[in-house]
Amino acid sequence: MENSSDDYRIQAFDLDTQMLLKTALKDPGSVNLEKVSNIIMDQSFKDQVFSKEAGRICYTIVQAEAKQNGSVFRRNLLNRLQLEFKEREETRGRSLQEWVCFVTFICNIFDYLKVNNMPMVALVHPVFDCLMRLAQPDALMNEEEVDCLVLQLHRIGEQLEKMNAPRMDELFFLLRDGFLLQEGLTSMARLLLLEILEFRAGGWLLSSTAHKYYYSEIAD
Amino acid sequence: MSDWNREKRREAHSSEHESRSHGSSRWSHCRKRGVDGSLRTKRDPEGSDKAHNKERHDNRNDSFRTPESAGPVSRCGRRSDWGSQVEDDEMRRDVHRDMQRRRILGGDATQRERRASSGSSGSCDSREGDSMETDEGVLLRRQKQINYGKNTLAYDRYVKEVPKHLRQAGVHPKTPNKFRKYSRRSWDQQIKLWKVKLHAWDPPTEEGGDKSLHNINELGLDDVMDIELDFPSLSDSQDAPAPLSTHSLSLEDEDCMGTPVKVQRTDSTAEPGI
Repeated sequence: MENSSDDYRIQAFDLDTQMLLKTALKDPGSVNLEKVSNIIMDQSFKDQVFSKEAGRICYTIVQAEAKQNGSVFRRNLLNRLQLEFKEREETRGRSLQEWVCFVTFICNIFDYLKVNNMPMVALVHPVFDCLMRLAQPDALMNEEEVDCLVLQLHRIGEQLEKMNAPRMDELFFLLRDGFLLQEGLTSMARLLLLEILEFRAGGWLLSSTAHKYYYSEIAD
Repeated sequence: MSDWNREKRREAHSSEHESRSHGSSRWSHCRKRGVDGSLRTKRDPEGSDKAHNKERHDNRNDSFRTPESAGPVSRCGRRSDWGSQVEDDEMRRDVHRDMQRRRILGGDATQRERRASSGSSGSCDSREGDSMETDEGVLLRRQKQINYGKNTLAYDRYVKEVPKHLRQAGVHPKTPNKFRKYSRRSWDQQIKLWKVKLHAWDPPTEEGGDKSLHNINELGLDDVMDIELDFPSLSDSQDAPAPLSTHSLSLEDEDCMGTPVKVQRTDSTAEPGI
């Protein structure tokens, strides 16, 4: 399936960089892949729109490189991701926006970068760690973080649960407690939490009535 | 980005060192004190999952280092960087899939068919009656060695030049069959000879040695120490070690390493000291 480069949302980059990325997609061996992975990651941490789908361009480059018998890009990507993961608490302290972008990105990578059609085992615990962090009382107070949390669970919750059900249970204990006991939550935060609780309880599906409740326009 | 690059190189160093048994993390949890004498705090168990604990290396006591590494070093053979974990995982799955194929394809009927044809690549080569090699550790190690050989320009060129049905036994290199039972020495020798033969298809350059380095870069060999890598000259099949950088190099930027700190000569006794 040939995606036009629009699908990868590379318009955010300057023209030279766009050229570089396009080349990386077609002939990865001909470019500096470490540089490419850094460019993609740097942008992901700034631009939440980009980070939501950056996994796709990464996946394409990984596949293209694998055909050339290489694995430089994936290795660089993952190892840098690991470093950023180690420093996530500092990142969160410095900028909620960056932290949220990071979580979005790592979850997106988990979603797209499969190995033999299975999610990467190495990322399971780190992703859970991030989500657990988002479910902490101090994070629940920020709508940005709650929003990020529920978005990721919508996208990869089911896969994550398959990889490690006990940790998902653990996470949802926190979410229930948060919803029930956390003082000072905004009503939006409570709404998001309630929806995700129902979503998982429905087997990662919202019943049609619940869907109507949460997503329909309120009739006047 | 220079900070990030420095960090990354240190990570690369430390992940390389992991394979040199300089880490003592296997026993560290038994020790009351770290190397610097300070009492170790009890690590809080985040989960019973071993893989999970392995990834908590970032919490490991800072005293577990080697001079070259910036961070704590783990037991050899268990690489904690995500890039390596994913690659190892991928290889494990590939090997398991291969095993399943062999079990199904390695039956009676296929054996008879195979004998009738000539020059098969031995993909069903586990002789009837012999048991297959099934030890996962062995298979993984062997697969890794095979991958090193196959991830070379020489192999690519060979495969393009000589289709399988035209291969002649003895003349053309044949990938050793990882599913057959062999002693360790026998296997290692087969790999060595196989790779020597593959060199006949090295791309033409002024110095053969340069191309070896280029191949190394492509491979991103940061755990090369756990197998022997000999690149003897073609005329001499003895183990004549060639100088080889065993760094896991930043693959496109060779020059930024400067003079490699640890340009090692590989020899058949393997481990260079630090």
